[in-house]
Amino acid sequence: MSSTEERLPSIPDVGSDEFDAMVDAEQTDPREELEKTDYDTELGLAMAEDAKRVSRGELSSDDYWKKYDEVANAEFGEVYRATPNPSIESPDQTISDETAESLGCSVGSMDDVACGLAEGGQEAAGDEAAASDDERWGMVIDLQKCVGCDSCTVACKAENRTPPGVSYNVVMEEEHGEFPNVTRTNLPRPCMQCENPPCVQVCPVSATYKMDDGVVNIDYERCIGCRYCMIACPYGARYFDFGENYEGEVQADGEVTSPEYGVDRGPREDGASPVGNVRKCSFCTHRLERGEEPACVETCVGDARNMGDLDDPDSEVSEMADSTRAFQLKESEGTDPNVYYLK
Amino acid sequence: MATESSAYDLEFDPGFESRRLRIVWYAVLAVLLLGGGYAMWLRITRGMASTNLTSTTPWGAWVAFYIYFVGLSAGAFLVSTLANVFGVEGMHRIDRDALFAAIISMVVALLFVWTDLGRMDRMYYPFIWRQFTSPLAWEVHAYVAYIGILVTELYFSMRYDLARIAERGSGLRARLLRLLTLGRTATSESSRETDRTWLKRAGIVGIPLAIFLVHGGTGVLFAVAKARPYWNSGLFPIIFVISAVVSGTALVMALYVLRTRLFDGESVDRDLLERLSKLLAAFVISDVALTTIDMLIALNSLHPHEVETWLIVMFGEMSWSFWWFMVGFGWVFPLVLLSKRSWRRTPGLMVAAGLSVVIGIVAVRFNIVVPPQILPVMEGLPHGSYFPTPVESLTSVGMIAVGLLLYTIGAELLPLTPLDRGDHS
Repeated sequence: MSSTEERLPSIPDVGSDEFDAMVDAEQTDPREELEKTDYDTELGLAMAEDAKRVSRGELSSDDYWKKYDEVANAEFGEVYRATPNPSIESPDQTISDETAESLGCSVGSMDDVACGLAEGGQEAAGDEAAASDDERWGMVIDLQKCVGCDSCTVACKAENRTPPGVSYNVVMEEEHGEFPNVTRTNLPRPCMQCENPPCVQVCPVSATYKMDDGVVNIDYERCIGCRYCMIACPYGARYFDFGENYEGEVQADGEVTSPEYGVDRGPREDGASPVGNVRKCSFCTHRLERGEEPACVETCVGDARNMGDLDDPDSEVSEMADSTRAFQLKESEGTDPNVYYLK
Repeated sequence: MATESSAYDLEFDPGFESRRLRIVWYAVLAVLLLGGGYAMWLRITRGMASTNLTSTTPWGAWVAFYIYFVGLSAGAFLVSTLANVFGVEGMHRIDRDALFAAIISMVVALLFVWTDLGRMDRMYYPFIWRQFTSPLAWEVHAYVAYIGILVTELYFSMRYDLARIAERGSGLRARLLRLLTLGRTATSESSRETDRTWLKRAGIVGIPLAIFLVHGGTGVLFAVAKARPYWNSGLFPIIFVISAVVSGTALVMALYVLRTRLFDGESVDRDLLERLSKLLAAFVISDVALTTIDMLIALNSLHPHEVETWLIVMFGEMSWSFWWFMVGFGWVFPLVLLSKRSWRRTPGLMVAAGLSVVIGIVAVRFNIVVPPQILPVMEGLPHGSYFPTPVESLTSVGMIAVGLLLYTIGAELLPLTPLDRGDHS
């Protein structure tokens, strides 16, 4: 049997030549592109050609950088020197330490650049040192847009891999009126990341604390599991990890891990933190740090959830939080949540 | 007085009067300890999943027993200060007993709070990291200071007798007691005066520590939880202290009668018994009054959470613990027994009244801890429901048995009854 007969349904009947032609048609002309910049077009083309040879294995990465380090340094100057070299990114470093040492560009990881981009908005990679990190993360949930589908709860479980009994986000559903005159309010409840968090006040070991970005953090390495914070939280947003697992109930249970608060603990183990600790929503700190929205915000089908910087008066969330429709849960508690709702 | 006390000097023979009772008692304790030990092994291997606690009801039996034993300790201690600080006549006989019971109660309380930690291995963390605004952070330090005061007081209260026994006796017990004098073996009247001075000084430091920090502070621990309006009342820490004194007085009274009968083989001093029982009656009445006032404040607030929590306490599925144990065993039954002078002078009835209160206050502690965690903090979140699992109950029994064992060993070895029977003043 030939391969064409095994073709799966819905795959168009075209050969690789047609695909290549399509790609070529879409491809921009390198010369044309490079001429738009202030830098040497010929150097760019030469580097690109040799980069292709490196990827084909005809040229070693070491030789490539030895060849271009000096010219690139002369041509791009400060920008070249301040940008981490992708070949030296550990742990996939493709050139020897010796060569890496000899290069004129700064030796660092590409992650640094990505973080710089995330924090500094649209600023260029070269300016990552100047990136600001003074956001106060806030969430605004438009109750008119919430359809009560619970996909935020599911997305949160998938993202944070929370065990049974731990749900950083829930949707509280309330029905009013009598049939047929009924309405329903759906109230999603993440952690409020209060400005004045009662949980922080009562923690005897300061394992939970407010971070500069407004998020209330939990240090799983320090939490003794006394559960006082759960008693103090007026929103029921904290959950104790009793050590249960979705054994065989979800795909890859216990294998996929979530780097909560930016710390990847690897696979879940009996008796190891966060088992025996108190857990809660972290606004997906690990996602915020790489410039992504929290999983619940990204997944919301009605676009009811908004994430942004409440310290920036021009941000969308600030404007929404200032609107007459905006309110916070249990305002009389004095907790001043960083989660706002729109009536 | 000096001639009087010398007549008692050779009479130091603590321990059970009846060998049979001794064997039966230790056998019972052994069974309880084995059961509790097995349950503790289950708790450690299975973790907190061995409990009926949930994220809605995160505190249960272990926390209730923890505050119960802190209260018992603070109460017993305050009774001891009647003798050694305030010099109330005829109370010296129970001074050491009260102090020793207070120490054992604190040990049991700390065992409970340790068992309750999600990470038992991190129990020492509160001494490394702190949070200034956390009552719990303050409490753990207050407990340590308080145990220090209690041990200091017991030492100064008992040292003179320890030295006298060590001086005259021989053998293992005498050597152990000599060790406990910490080298201060003088048996002169002046050394005794020094002891009394320091005993009083330690007591003076201990009284505010016990009232405001140890047990009042444990009440504060709950009262600051604004998210739980049932606890969030200024009266709450005061009720904590009063109910502590109730249980402490009841315990000391029961222990006095039981130990005098079963260990010393003597007749009970009816005047002392009546003094204790009157105190107990006054404390029970104060406890009833303050609890009623607190309930009125809660109901009149019309705050839905407070009103509903009280309705749960009085008419919910666990209301039997309120009516039978808290009101019945804690208040009504003892008050009836304490109502007649001749009954107050009857040791058997007073043991019944004392033990009834000691059991009733357990229900008080459960009714403090559990009901406010039944209603969810926000409508739409799940309701709680809590009853301890066998593991929780058995570990509790085991930890209480540890306390009983420690107390019994102490009562068999130490001169908890003053050799001169406490009538030195």
